[in-house]
Amino acid sequence: MANQSATHQRELVFGAATRIFHWLRALAILVLVITGFYISWPFLVAPENSDVLVQGFIRGGHQVFGFLLVAITLVRAYLFFFGKSDNERRSFKDVLNPKSWITQLKSYLWMGHLDKAGVYGPLQFVTYLAISLVAFLICVTGLVLYANVYHQGLGGALSGVANWVTMMMGGLAPVRIWHHYLTWVFIIFVVIHVYMAVWSGIRFKHNSVDSIVSGYDYHKKK
Amino acid sequence: METHEALYQQGVARMEQLRHLKPRHGETLQDKMLQNGISRRDFMKWTASVTAMLALPLPFSTLVAEAAELANRVPLIWLHMAECTGCSESLIRTDTPNLDSLIFDHVSLEYHETLMAASGWQAEENLEHALETYKGNYLLAVEGAVPTANNGAYLTVGCKGHTGLHIVKQAAAGAAAIISVGTCAAFGGIQAASPNPTGAKGVYEVVDKPVINLGGCPPSEKNIVGTLMYFIMFGKLPALDMFNRPKWAYGARVHDNCERRGRFDAGEFVEEFGDQGAKEGYCLYKVGCKGPYTYNNCPTERFNHHTSWPVLAGHGCMGCSEPNFWDDMADFEKPLGRQLLHGLDATTDTIGTVILGATAVGIGAHAVASVFAKSEEE
Repeated sequence: MANQSATHQRELVFGAATRIFHWLRALAILVLVITGFYISWPFLVAPENSDVLVQGFIRGGHQVFGFLLVAITLVRAYLFFFGKSDNERRSFKDVLNPKSWITQLKSYLWMGHLDKAGVYGPLQFVTYLAISLVAFLICVTGLVLYANVYHQGLGGALSGVANWVTMMMGGLAPVRIWHHYLTWVFIIFVVIHVYMAVWSGIRFKHNSVDSIVSGYDYHKKK
Repeated sequence: METHEALYQQGVARMEQLRHLKPRHGETLQDKMLQNGISRRDFMKWTASVTAMLALPLPFSTLVAEAAELANRVPLIWLHMAECTGCSESLIRTDTPNLDSLIFDHVSLEYHETLMAASGWQAEENLEHALETYKGNYLLAVEGAVPTANNGAYLTVGCKGHTGLHIVKQAAAGAAAIISVGTCAAFGGIQAASPNPTGAKGVYEVVDKPVINLGGCPPSEKNIVGTLMYFIMFGKLPALDMFNRPKWAYGARVHDNCERRGRFDAGEFVEEFGDQGAKEGYCLYKVGCKGPYTYNNCPTERFNHHTSWPVLAGHGCMGCSEPNFWDDMADFEKPLGRQLLHGLDATTDTIGTVILGATAVGIGAHAVASVFAKSEEE
């Protein structure tokens, strides 16, 4: 038995915090998209009794998961810059390197392997950066809309900033319609994200989708 | 509160100052009320309601009464730009004049194209005379948007052929305060809707002075008179919101004080006009109510002597007091999330372009890739 050894070695690519926040964010996005579409077009039929606040409770859920998304967006930004492992930050080197871009784009067209400095390729890194900015914008517009829902406590504290943002965006209607458009960025992103995660696992024979659950990626021993 | 005390003292000082000015006409407000069959009791009720509307404590109602009587000492110049006179009509309610319209009659109105008797050269002379005589003291009200394209040539007023842009700038220079009455004067309104060929703009965009914006198409007579009263009482601008609208009138959304708000929270919506929900008075959100994005006091003050307002009458708010409402709030009978579905065929055309474009790109990419690709990467 002693001479048996594994053919692959494993490497921790996603720490526990990264994985937990990834799935919390996925849950928040799912709930927010569903409740958000209800708020946009209330598709459930009216209850028998108007004491049951259907819109009110769905709006409440949207708000709670919205706050969750705001919190995760802040924590993830913090972890990106100050987290212990630098495998995310390392990827920025590839973004600045034109050769890495060509390598990644070619590998997506079935030409060659994808070698990267960190855990992400350059196109992937820029996409995640963009979706983080979209998350930031949807959080800001969401909080502006929230400041008009509840005028005390946190909502009241936000009202000064919210009014300023409303003024800069030209009224509450543009704030609301941008909040709606940005939702579609998330929906399109999720489809591409899942597809690419599965595809790169098959194409490059590594542990792609599973790694965001277990944290480990596997490589053949050299 | 001491801030209220200070404000009250400011009002008292202002009344004292106004009392020393010469009234423009001899008739007192009391005479006019008698002629119109308005009792002293009606007047006291009116002062109390104006005080409450301005969010002031009840002792201010004596100040409101005094200010109403002294209104004939405050010169008012009212200009008409690119507009429909609906705002003036909202204020004067010529079919049933009441105290609001009477105050407007009593205030020292120096120039108002719809209401004045003079015309032609005489009217022009009146305006020039008023601008000169009351320089630095008059209150300027503007109704309508200011066309700015082609140096304002899309609007000329009067026998001298001055452009609206020229007249507004000239009048604004000597004004003590400027009020934009209605959405057109405040934000450009329908005249400024895309593509805006005349370059119509709100007054605040063409003058370099603070302007009070009274959004609304039209604003209610209460909001116009309340703003006038505030200026007469204190000689200064009230607290203003992000778009320079008085906070006492535009501090809350239509949605916040809507009588159908309970239906909204309960998820009871009108699906189409005339259905059972509409008869039951359900929420109008799904048939396009823009109350959630619109700041105004329509649900509490209503229109036409507190008779009704759009949502009470069964149609959703269309956000007429907001900037750029004609473009931003369209379609008026669909919620904002359905804004993209403007035309059925136009929408399917866009979808078709995207699908066919993606297909072409996909086939092309696959064909090119299959020329170079190995079957599997090691």
